[in-house]
Amino acid sequence: MSRAVVITGMGVISAHGLGRESLAAALAAGTPATAAVDRSAGFHPRGGARTAAMVGPVDLGRWLPAAAARRMGRPSRLAVAAARMAIADAGIDLPASHPTLTAVAMATTFGASSSTETLLKEIRDEGPEAASPFQFTECVANAPTAQVALSLGARGANFTLMQGEAGPLLAVARAAREVSSGRAEMALAGAVDEVTPLLHAILDRFGALAQPDRAGVERARPLAAGRNGYTLGEGAAVLVLEPEGVARARGARVLARLGGSAGANDPSAPAGGWGSGGAGLAAALSRFLTAMGGARIDRIVSGASGSRRGDLLEGSVLKMGFDRGTLPPVHTPKGIVGEHGGGLLAAAVLAAAGCPIARPSGCDEIDPEIGFLAHAGGLPEPPQRTLVTALASGGPAAWLLLERP
Amino acid sequence: MAAKRSQAVEHRAVAVTGYGVVSALGWGVRSFADGLSAGRAAIGPFDRFDPSRQRTRIAAQVPGPAPRLPLAAAAARRLSWADRFALAAASEAVGHADLDPRREPHAIGVFFGSSTGGMLEAEILYDQMRADPRHARVSKIASQSPGGPAEAVARHLGLMGPVETISSACASAAMAIGCALAALRDGSVDVAIAGGADSLCRVTYAGFNALRAVDAEPCRPFRASRAGLSLGEGAGVLVLERAAHAAARGVRPHALLLGAGSSCDAYHMTTPEPEGEGAARALAAALADAGVGADAVDFLNAHGTATPHNDEAEARAIRRVFGARASRLPVTSTKAIVGHLLGSAGAVEAVATLLALASGWLTAMPGPEPADPALGLDPVIAAPRHLAGARVAVSANLGFGGANAALVLARPGEAR
Repeated sequence: MSRAVVITGMGVISAHGLGRESLAAALAAGTPATAAVDRSAGFHPRGGARTAAMVGPVDLGRWLPAAAARRMGRPSRLAVAAARMAIADAGIDLPASHPTLTAVAMATTFGASSSTETLLKEIRDEGPEAASPFQFTECVANAPTAQVALSLGARGANFTLMQGEAGPLLAVARAAREVSSGRAEMALAGAVDEVTPLLHAILDRFGALAQPDRAGVERARPLAAGRNGYTLGEGAAVLVLEPEGVARARGARVLARLGGSAGANDPSAPAGGWGSGGAGLAAALSRFLTAMGGARIDRIVSGASGSRRGDLLEGSVLKMGFDRGTLPPVHTPKGIVGEHGGGLLAAAVLAAAGCPIARPSGCDEIDPEIGFLAHAGGLPEPPQRTLVTALASGGPAAWLLLERP
Repeated sequence: MAAKRSQAVEHRAVAVTGYGVVSALGWGVRSFADGLSAGRAAIGPFDRFDPSRQRTRIAAQVPGPAPRLPLAAAAARRLSWADRFALAAASEAVGHADLDPRREPHAIGVFFGSSTGGMLEAEILYDQMRADPRHARVSKIASQSPGGPAEAVARHLGLMGPVETISSACASAAMAIGCALAALRDGSVDVAIAGGADSLCRVTYAGFNALRAVDAEPCRPFRASRAGLSLGEGAGVLVLERAAHAAARGVRPHALLLGAGSSCDAYHMTTPEPEGEGAARALAAALADAGVGADAVDFLNAHGTATPHNDEAEARAIRRVFGARASRLPVTSTKAIVGHLLGSAGAVEAVATLLALASGWLTAMPGPEPADPALGLDPVIAAPRHLAGARVAVSANLGFGGANAALVLARPGEAR
């Protein structure tokens, strides 16, 4: 069995607030929403990055009762609220009609950092006998995915994917496979991540984060000159995937059709770093586009984040993967939502559904090594076929094709 | 009709052309197979970290010394223990499969399961950050993720196909092998390096102790006196390819992977659904995917953690799927010998299942205590059991968060 799969709902929580309307407005304006990270623990270097795209004090009460929230870590709360938001957005009460055929696939890059840190602190400071069962349960990487299943009664396959920046696209591809094969009648797919001061400090010391300029402005500049790192972000995005026939039959609004997916790897990349294997990745991208029928891609939502070498590789792959002169408009939403998988995923679906994405502010100067900039935005026609890209540090890559239904 | 059905099943099956293992029994399949045959439990005192303040003080630690890897010093320094286990098992599996990965690197994917990944190294980094952040080796952040072992394998073997890590607790590796099977069937890859790797670390050791899920003595799956699990570490890797691909390069399969299935309890974060309904659905889904009936299964390599809840729920699941045959179906758990390898358990136990299919001998769980009669199963205890003509077997794994997975494996030519 192989069925067409469509996206019929989306829930998103980001630095821009709850729901896709606030995110869509921010993407159209191109303005990031960052806030100062608590540096009081002394983990951070002098100078260095000071901000992240963090979820503010939002009220999740509509989506997550307080009693349930108390039994969850923060990533689980974000994931469950986004999942419930997605279900409502899709016009579905709950997957009660086919619970054993509802799959969940969620990605996370660093897992539940706060629970892990709390547990480590307990063990280090008070001894292992002080370890909290709750923190242990919630520090396991699949806790948010499992909590989504528990919350919704989703008893189909339950996947948690961890492949860095490529994870969210792999999660959607995995969920789509469950639906297209008939193993699931519905799937929830997405990503969740959280920012903690310790994680922020480690990534800053590792050289990954955008640094303040002379004017003290700290900004990710995806694909642009002067970029010096990414803005760490957090949040959750969850999509509802259904067979197209089922969605049409119930009169569901379709945001996008999943045209296909592919993965590849750059073996020249060191652990946590970027390689020089643009040609190999570009060949894999070309094979994917050919396998998708070779039809014209008219929009790219890129995972470029502001990473010096990562964006260079992304630019090289896109230029080689497309015939000379035919590179479609490229959007770089991570310059607006920060580096977190859910943000990219939500922006990609919004773009495929026709929402505009502006060039992030401060990204107007071309990097001659890359040779192109993110599109300024304001494209009049919604895209027919949107390519979503995600290269991960360490080597993996993933691509998704979203089609206008 | 029977021939047509057999052909259809054969088409959906993939060949296992190589495998490798690192476990508390040693580095390599030979030590693993010998230890399983002898029923020699490799669970005891360990020193991967200091357990003196823990409630329990035993584990199934991979013995030293680690074999030298052909890597530059800088690359080797970034490896976690889980990465090292993964590289050793993958190298062994690729050699066993007589596979030269550099001949078709874009057509080979890596599908791995991992739960803790480089958590041990993340713990060291945390201590360093607490002590003096200026001197912390922050490059360790690059190998702390459960995605690290898969990336290390792909990097080391020069692979350019997809890389995917499932981190669904103790079901991770079995689910990853299922993902590899799907990728081979739909043509996404021609060869899959599938398995899992995990290492012991303080977080899981203290965490499972906090849950009172660890036995102070070596674990005793399916015994009435069972009192918890024994944590272990290591890696298991299978080389999977379509039968035609294996034949084209002149390689005979050691076994077949017939099918895979997974499910979720959606019941509780740590306690399995007590009636075994979710686990039974994973078992049934794997059998349906394999195109074989429950009556065709000759033995079961169970999850068998030896926690009172797990073994009881798993026994119910087995009885749901196998009916009256459950009391006569030989069941074993290699966790009694190599401990619970968490995210890599499904891969190591798949290799144990293949070894049993090949030898016809099913591993015994050590110790004289008889099986818990309340479970209604036929556990293999004290002495290995000869299974004349065993052809099809199931390996099952059940994880935190209610994630369940099962694999159906068979001797070559036994798709039916």
